[in-house]
Amino acid sequence: MNNLILDIDQPEQVSAAAAELRASLTASEVTPHGVLEVFEAWAATLGERETTDIPGVQFLRMWLRRGTLEPILTRELGCAALEGNWMADGRAMLKVFPLGVVGHWPAGNIEIQPVLSMTCALLGGNACLVRVPGGLEDISGRLIGKLVQTDTRGVLTTRIRMLAFPHVRRDLHEAMARVVDGAMVWGGEESVMQVRSLPFPHWARLEIFGPRISIAAMDADSWSNAQECESWCRRIARDVWQFDQQACSSPQVLFLEKKAGHPCEEFVETLKAAFESENRMHPRQTIQASLTSAICGARASWLLDDVAHRAIFPPEPDWTILIGRGSEIPKPTQGKTLTILEVDDLTDALKDLDGDVQTLGLAVADAAREEMLASLAARRGVDRIVKLGRMHVFAPPWDGADLIRPMVRMVRHVPSRV
Amino acid sequence: MDELGPRIDQMLAIPPYSLPPEARQAALVELLRDELEYAAEKNAAYRNYLQHWPTEIRSAERVADLPYLPVSCLKGDVPFSLVEPREIKRTLTSSSTTGQTPSRIVLDSPTARRMTKGVVSIAQDFIGSARRPYLVVDVPGAVAGGPELGARGAAIQGLQPFASEVAYCLKNGSGGLEIDREKLLQFAEARRKSQVLVYGFTYILWKHFVMPLRAQNLCLDMPDVHILHSGGWKLLQEEAVDKKTFNEGVASVFGCPAGRVIDFYGMVENVGVIYPDCAELNKHVPVFADVIARDPLTLKPVREGQTGIVQVSSVLPTSFPGQLLLTEDLAQVVAYDGCRCGRRGVCFRFMGRVPKAEVRGCGNIERSRQQAR
Repeated sequence: MNNLILDIDQPEQVSAAAAELRASLTASEVTPHGVLEVFEAWAATLGERETTDIPGVQFLRMWLRRGTLEPILTRELGCAALEGNWMADGRAMLKVFPLGVVGHWPAGNIEIQPVLSMTCALLGGNACLVRVPGGLEDISGRLIGKLVQTDTRGVLTTRIRMLAFPHVRRDLHEAMARVVDGAMVWGGEESVMQVRSLPFPHWARLEIFGPRISIAAMDADSWSNAQECESWCRRIARDVWQFDQQACSSPQVLFLEKKAGHPCEEFVETLKAAFESENRMHPRQTIQASLTSAICGARASWLLDDVAHRAIFPPEPDWTILIGRGSEIPKPTQGKTLTILEVDDLTDALKDLDGDVQTLGLAVADAAREEMLASLAARRGVDRIVKLGRMHVFAPPWDGADLIRPMVRMVRHVPSRV
Repeated sequence: MDELGPRIDQMLAIPPYSLPPEARQAALVELLRDELEYAAEKNAAYRNYLQHWPTEIRSAERVADLPYLPVSCLKGDVPFSLVEPREIKRTLTSSSTTGQTPSRIVLDSPTARRMTKGVVSIAQDFIGSARRPYLVVDVPGAVAGGPELGARGAAIQGLQPFASEVAYCLKNGSGGLEIDREKLLQFAEARRKSQVLVYGFTYILWKHFVMPLRAQNLCLDMPDVHILHSGGWKLLQEEAVDKKTFNEGVASVFGCPAGRVIDFYGMVENVGVIYPDCAELNKHVPVFADVIARDPLTLKPVREGQTGIVQVSSVLPTSFPGQLLLTEDLAQVVAYDGCRCGRRGVCFRFMGRVPKAEVRGCGNIERSRQQAR
């Protein structure tokens, strides 16, 4: 473990780390342009042997590129923010300033998330106190090691402290909450509720991401088109495989609109082939026994609950396709367990959504109809509507919120002599 | 069914630990395949499950190739039955200590009879076949009559064929379970020179029997006793009591060697099968059953020395689909044959429950927004 990841045992260690970060914030300013320079160099090293096998690292490399981040910065903060300049707003001037020390509570199921969350706040010029979830210490250490190797002038490394401590240490969570000016919180219901209850200062801004689930939907014309079906199925498999279907953006259900004269079995067979192919390319390396039990349980209970239900799965827990009808989203199993629900009309499936759904992956042949469905889903609480195969592309807004702007202050200056 | 009954009885008649693994597999697979077909005929939902199994049941050559049912599917208010309601003689319920819905296991007469025979066949291999006074470390109400019987009651009743007489030595006091001291001392005094069988739930035996007697420095002086106990170690682990401490503590209050204390693993859903520790502290599987530890990554049987999710198999039940059950427990396979105690077949060690998921990610929703409102 390098010296940016600290094993924490006492609340005082958290306070000391925060004090160091505040000192570095006071000592120098960093512009988004300056951050992007370091990010570009960092991204180039992440393809090296020590980090190339980390799940999601290819995505992180793409994310850190100037070509990805500049448009996001421009949209969220304005063109002038890139160079750290004041920009005109009528007779006034606006400029972006950091919030200060931003605390990060990432979820433990996405390997790159501690680093990804941190990059959002760094782009706003903030310093970051990151709680590394148990089990991700080694991976986070390797990723941050590459930043240390790259950032020789300490532009960013002086602004980062990653803290490792057991999730049950409420006193250390509280110590972290007390010293931050803002927080980015990612995770399941239980952990989000716990973090929200911490004693943050009254001025601290909290940005909560999750817990959510995601779904996919295909209209009749898309899946029944023999030329396109295989490609769509590959895209669905890709979305299901990433993060072992445990991310908030992972599709748990695929709503399939019925098409007269086209039994869904044809589609299911094609999807099965896509799952088998994806599994050969990206076999699971490890699994918790509890997830295996859950997968076996889901297979059995699905088939026992209703004799009209069908399922396809291999003897291994590698993947599972459950097939039924209706618009009710079953309790997600995760672990590459996709439930296909046939519906007469996609609007039947979307009209009952309740805000738990973050992303809707779509394949719809007609653009006007897609727009109608997207609007319906958005009204029902869906925050991202994307093409199937792109459900995990981490582009803001995420959960309906910007990623950089929430952790900056937009300062307004009306010159006294104007 | 008419044809299955005699074949199951034939298996029960074989000495429980006598067959080499190959002979046991051959006998079990054929019978289990037929039992699955019978179960599929009886229950449409189970038939649907079996029809979707990814491998052909008829071509299965090993028990490990046959479709197994997660034990969670037996939990529910309505029992998963293969018989008509009028044929049900008793319903067993699992202990369900963690507040979950318990399993409900229906027994018809043939299954209940086989359950008794199975337990007797196994237990007598460890304690001999003689009938003897039976001391139950529990309250008499644990086996109270009625249509439903809990895990404690089922275990107590399962050993009754070894009893020449039965005595319960606990009573409900103001502070919970306490020893019926007079009854216990009378029993001990009168049976000091004879063989005695004792049974108690592991935690109850320790907390409500051994601890109070040790506090009083009391030894019952019953050297020819066998003490059987079951029910899991979770609560004792929380009190830092390991197996050695437990065995020595129990032995000290009975005045017997620690080897007379026998822990057995058993579950209500696996009717008629218990897994006592042998002298090597391994658990063994009788010929009419099988235990497979499945690798969580592949669901294939693990190699010797490895730990996996326990699947229990038994030819005994025909009243519910309990032939092949994937449990929520972990076990280490010590060897597939050749335990030094001389018992043939697989021997294993119980390694506790499957741990709950450690990582609760951003996709984990405990309840829907509509429910929360």
